[in-house]
Amino acid sequence: MTISTTPAAAAVTTTVASASTVTATTDSARATPVNLDMVWAALSTVDDPEYPGLSIVDLGLVEQVETTQGPDGSGVTIGLVPTFSGCPALHMIAADVIAAVANATGLATRVEWLSDPVWTTARMSPLAEQRLANEFTVVLRRKDGTLRCPVCGHDAVQDQSMAGPTRCRSIAWCPDCRNPIEVFRT
Amino acid sequence: MTTWSDLSEFDEFINSGGMVEPTDDIPEPYRDEVFRFIEFHANSELMGGLTERDWIPKAPGLRLKQVFLAKTQDEIGHAHLLYMVAADMGVKTRDEMIEQLFRGESRFHNVFHYQAVTWADQVAIAYLVDAAAFASQRAVFAECSYGPYKRVLKRIVAEEGFHMRHGEEMLLRLAEGTPTQHAMFQDALSRWWWPAVQLFGPDSDPADPLLRWKIKSERNETLRDAYVQKYVPLLQGYGFEIPDPELRYDGAAKRWVVGSIDWEPLKATMRNGGPDSRRRIENAARHWNDTAWVRNALDASAMAL
Repeated sequence: MTISTTPAAAAVTTTVASASTVTATTDSARATPVNLDMVWAALSTVDDPEYPGLSIVDLGLVEQVETTQGPDGSGVTIGLVPTFSGCPALHMIAADVIAAVANATGLATRVEWLSDPVWTTARMSPLAEQRLANEFTVVLRRKDGTLRCPVCGHDAVQDQSMAGPTRCRSIAWCPDCRNPIEVFRT
Repeated sequence: MTTWSDLSEFDEFINSGGMVEPTDDIPEPYRDEVFRFIEFHANSELMGGLTERDWIPKAPGLRLKQVFLAKTQDEIGHAHLLYMVAADMGVKTRDEMIEQLFRGESRFHNVFHYQAVTWADQVAIAYLVDAAAFASQRAVFAECSYGPYKRVLKRIVAEEGFHMRHGEEMLLRLAEGTPTQHAMFQDALSRWWWPAVQLFGPDSDPADPLLRWKIKSERNETLRDAYVQKYVPLLQGYGFEIPDPELRYDGAAKRWVVGSIDWEPLKATMRNGGPDSRRRIENAARHWNDTAWVRNALDASAMAL
C-alpha cells in the first residue's frame, strides 16, 4: 500500500501486514552507518494525530527500529503497534513516521504495523499519562478498577458510557467537580 | 465555590482570565448565554454525526468507510460530552434538549440544513465545512471561560484537526483526479462555498455577551476573513473557481475581498427552514425513536447491576 498524501513520503512505502518483504535485516546498527539515535529522535517528533503534543514514542506505539540492507543500500524499518486495530489514524501515523525519519536520516524508511505485541496502556510513558490527564482530561483506569478525577482529584469518578468519541476511550463523570472525564481503554 | 457580588465584579473576574466552574455561584445571564451556546454546539455535533453516518455505506473504498465510521463516532461522542456539560447547567435536561431538537424547535449549524448530493459534496463538507467549524471552535477554545466546556473543547479541537487532514486527503484525490472528478468538486463547491462562509455568522455585535464573557475570543468577521484569505488561494491553486462573481484581490491591502454576503439563507436555517432541514430533522427523529429499545435495554441492564 503506497501512501502518497505527504509529499516527502511519496517515494517510500508502508506495509500493513507484519510478515512483509523486508529484504535483509541486521540485528543492530553495528554493521551499518545508520545512526539509530537519529531515528529515535525523529520518531519522538511524530505526534499522535489525535493528541497534538504527545509523541508516538511516549504513547508506546514504537516497538522496534531495525536497520535493513537492501540492493538500494541501507534503510530502516519501524515496527509500530496500534492502540486499536481499525484506528483511523494508522495511515496518517505511518505517513508522518516515514516523512520524519526519511527527512532526518535520508534513509529509505518503512513502517510495519505489528499484531504482536498488543498495545496496552502500560506501554505509555509516565509523562504521557500525566499529560493526558492534565491537558486532555483523559485518565487511565487504576489496577483496582477505580478512576481518579484529573480535574479535582476526586477518587470515585463514575463510568458513564462504554463508547466515547474514539475507539480507544470511554466516558465517565466526576460527581464532585462535575466534569465529563474520558478513560483510555485497554 | 466562587461567588460574585454583582455582574461588574464577575466581568472583572472574566477579564483577568478567571475560569468559571459548575460549582461556582454562576450569574444567571452568563449561565443562559453559555448554556445556549453549548446546546447549539451539541446539536450541531449530533446532526453532523448523523450526516457523516449516512455516507459510511457510500464512501468509496474500505479505508474511507473506516474514516467515516471514525468521524461519525467522533461527532456523536462530542455531542454526548457536550450534552453532559449542558445538562449539568440545570437549564434543560438532556432528554429535553434532544427531543426539542428532533421536534424542530432548536437550532444547529447552518451547514447541516443542506443536502449532500454527491460524494464530492461530502468531500466539500470534509474540506471546507470542517475547516470552518474547526476555526470557529479553536477560537472558542482559545479563551473559553467555562471550565468544563474548555476541557471538552481541547479534545474536540484535536480531533477536528485530524478530520481536516482527512478532508485535505479526500480533496486532493478529486482535485488531482480525472476531469470528471475535478468537475464534480467544482459543482459541489458551487453549493458549499457560501454556506461555509456563512457558518461564521454576520459581523459580531460589539455588545455580544459571548465576547464579553470570553466564550468567543474573536469576532465573527475576523474569523470569516481569515478563512477567506486561506481558502480562496488554496482552492484557486487546485484550479477551482470560487462561486462569487464579485470576489476580488485588493493589491494594496494584499487581501481577498468577497462580494456582499446574503444572510437570508443563514437566517432560514436558524428557523429550520433550510433546503434540507425538514428531511434531516425527520430522519434524526425517526432514528431516535427506532433506537429507543437500545437505550431501554441499556438502562435495564444498568439497573440490574
